[in-house]
Amino acid sequence: MIRTGRIARLTTFIAVAVLSACTGDKSDTATSSQATATEAASGLVAKIGIDLPLSGGDAATGIPTRDGAVLAIEEANAAGGTGGLKFVAYDLDDAVQGAHDPAQGAQNVKTFVADEAVLAMVGPFNSSVAQAEIPITNDAGLAQISPATTNPGLTKGAQAAKLRTSHPDVNAFFRVCTTDDRQGAAGAQFARKLGKSKAFIVDDDETYGKGLADVFEAQFKTDGGAVVGHEHLTKGQNDYKALLTKARALGPDLIFYGGTTVTGGSLLRKQMSDTGLGKVTFLGGDGISDDEFLKSAGDSANGSYYTVAAPETSKLPSAAAFVDAYQKRWKSPVGPYSANAYTATKVEIVAIERATIANGGKLPSRDAVLKIVAQTTGFKSPIGTIGFDQNGDTTAPILSVYGITNGKPKFVEQIFLRI
Amino acid sequence: MDVFLQQVINGLSLGGIYALIALGYTMVYGIIELINFAHGDVYTFGTFTSLAILTGLGISGEVHGPLLIGVVALTVVAAMLTCGALGVLIELLAYRRLRNAPRLAPLITAIGVSFILENVMQLWHGPSPIPFPQVIPNPSASFGGVEISAKQVLVIALAVVMMVALQLFIYRTKIGKAMRATAQDREAAQLMGIDVNTTIMVTFLVGSALAGAAGFVSGVYYGTTWFFNGFEAGLKAFTAAVLGGIGNILGAMLGGFSIGLIEAIATQYIPQGAQWSNVVVFSVLVLVLIFRPAGLLGESLPEKV
Repeated sequence: MIRTGRIARLTTFIAVAVLSACTGDKSDTATSSQATATEAASGLVAKIGIDLPLSGGDAATGIPTRDGAVLAIEEANAAGGTGGLKFVAYDLDDAVQGAHDPAQGAQNVKTFVADEAVLAMVGPFNSSVAQAEIPITNDAGLAQISPATTNPGLTKGAQAAKLRTSHPDVNAFFRVCTTDDRQGAAGAQFARKLGKSKAFIVDDDETYGKGLADVFEAQFKTDGGAVVGHEHLTKGQNDYKALLTKARALGPDLIFYGGTTVTGGSLLRKQMSDTGLGKVTFLGGDGISDDEFLKSAGDSANGSYYTVAAPETSKLPSAAAFVDAYQKRWKSPVGPYSANAYTATKVEIVAIERATIANGGKLPSRDAVLKIVAQTTGFKSPIGTIGFDQNGDTTAPILSVYGITNGKPKFVEQIFLRI
Repeated sequence: MDVFLQQVINGLSLGGIYALIALGYTMVYGIIELINFAHGDVYTFGTFTSLAILTGLGISGEVHGPLLIGVVALTVVAAMLTCGALGVLIELLAYRRLRNAPRLAPLITAIGVSFILENVMQLWHGPSPIPFPQVIPNPSASFGGVEISAKQVLVIALAVVMMVALQLFIYRTKIGKAMRATAQDREAAQLMGIDVNTTIMVTFLVGSALAGAAGFVSGVYYGTTWFFNGFEAGLKAFTAAVLGGIGNILGAMLGGFSIGLIEAIATQYIPQGAQWSNVVVFSVLVLVLIFRPAGLLGESLPEKV
């Protein structure tokens, strides 16, 4: 029991560490939102709440995400809002002592709810924070779009139903990113494209890893591949040679791994070389998308692939204009979730504008905005033409595949998932 | 058949690591009847020390020729000395004062020491797996589809050599005799002029030094380690010691190899075997203990009065 918690914390830590390694210079962004806040003094003012981790270790990804949202608001204001409507970014930091904090996130959302001018919000970044926030936005009927939370339970199934406490029939939480469970499907699609037909599946028996592996198995079979075995690792074990010897006897051309680096990913890959499986393709989810995997698997890491539940913005044709505008405005590289935040904010801006028109030019109610957000469909954005399904999930999931060569991950391709 | 033999080799090399750790467990239990839960962490400490030495020597890859022997000897000896000293220190600080306390007290203390070591190592290298340099070249020989690598030979051989050396030490040396006497009856041994404190200290020194050697071997064998490595390995090694008959040197090795073999074979022949191998291991343990309560090679001693 102790170990599960430890590993969960560890994975978050690693994820954050990796994400923070991806972004570079983040100067001159901190004062931006205060500037926009004072600009709009008269006329109709609609505020968009932004709740993200903006300090500490999470800031490296949080700030570029916030900047994406602020850019959308600035563009809307520059274009001249419908009926003199001015948008204001109202951003709050949910990091406490350097790390995202669910309680602080909940506090921030309560602050948004208390301000009548806040008609919608963007955020949060982390699934644990979303878990604390969803009941509050659900209660207030405040449309909330997250750019980055990937835990399936936030929108789907019994777990999601439990979060919609006040209004079980209303969903106020949406996301423009895809979910972890779809990584399995994307992995299967990619594996088939590589021409792989016999997969041996290993997972770490945790929520994330097993979920990923099960979805992979189903999709791989649907796509005409054969699954020659599906085994689960035991916690704490670090000798997988027996397991891999068993796998080798079955002659797979792919080993799919559902899990994280720490729960066995790097050891498994390393021991594949020791058991004569070194040349077999190794594929996993974003649980192995960290530096730790590269370091501890060493040379054996080469030839592995992993999926990430987000598009690689710099390679997406639809995002080219956004990337340009972003770099011009912030003079820094686009973060992994900047385009998502931009899209989320834009969906809300359009919804608020439409609701204002419908309301005869006066500020609309939150409910009216929420209804329009929920009906979003065919919305052209940097991350493709998106919409939301009945759970609030994006209908156009885009994922990326990375491959490791010479000890470094390289973008391989974008997967546009069939739904 | 090929697959079966391959699994036997996998099992024996895994069992070799268990056996090396089990030797230390069984020695300490044999002499003061303490289940030294910190032993698994001393083993991880051995890997960490070896890593520090190799890093200090600036070695990050394979070494060949005479240099290889020098590097390995230096690292193993240093890891053994460091771990031996650590064992003595633990005994001195944590267990000695509790020697006459109720048996539960040192047991809980052992768990506490284990936590301390784990956390120290977490502070040292962080919570993630860390790579261990592949010092030893690893050619493998193939016998009709069955492959055995140099590292596997090393692990198995080292376990056997250490076991034999330990057996000689205990039955052929004066201090070994003192250890056996202390194990039999501490007070009587003291009355006969045996320095019990020194004897117990030597037991911890030797047991922990073995863990240090095992730590180096495991680092080389798996090529990676992390601060929590010793928990599972320690548990399995303890099981091995009990299976073989706790307090019995030969039994510890037999138990270690048996558990490694059972794990490998179960993984191969049971559907979803990787998940069930532990169940099989512990089922076998329960069965053995039902029919031979003192373990495979253990002798049931008359209750001390």
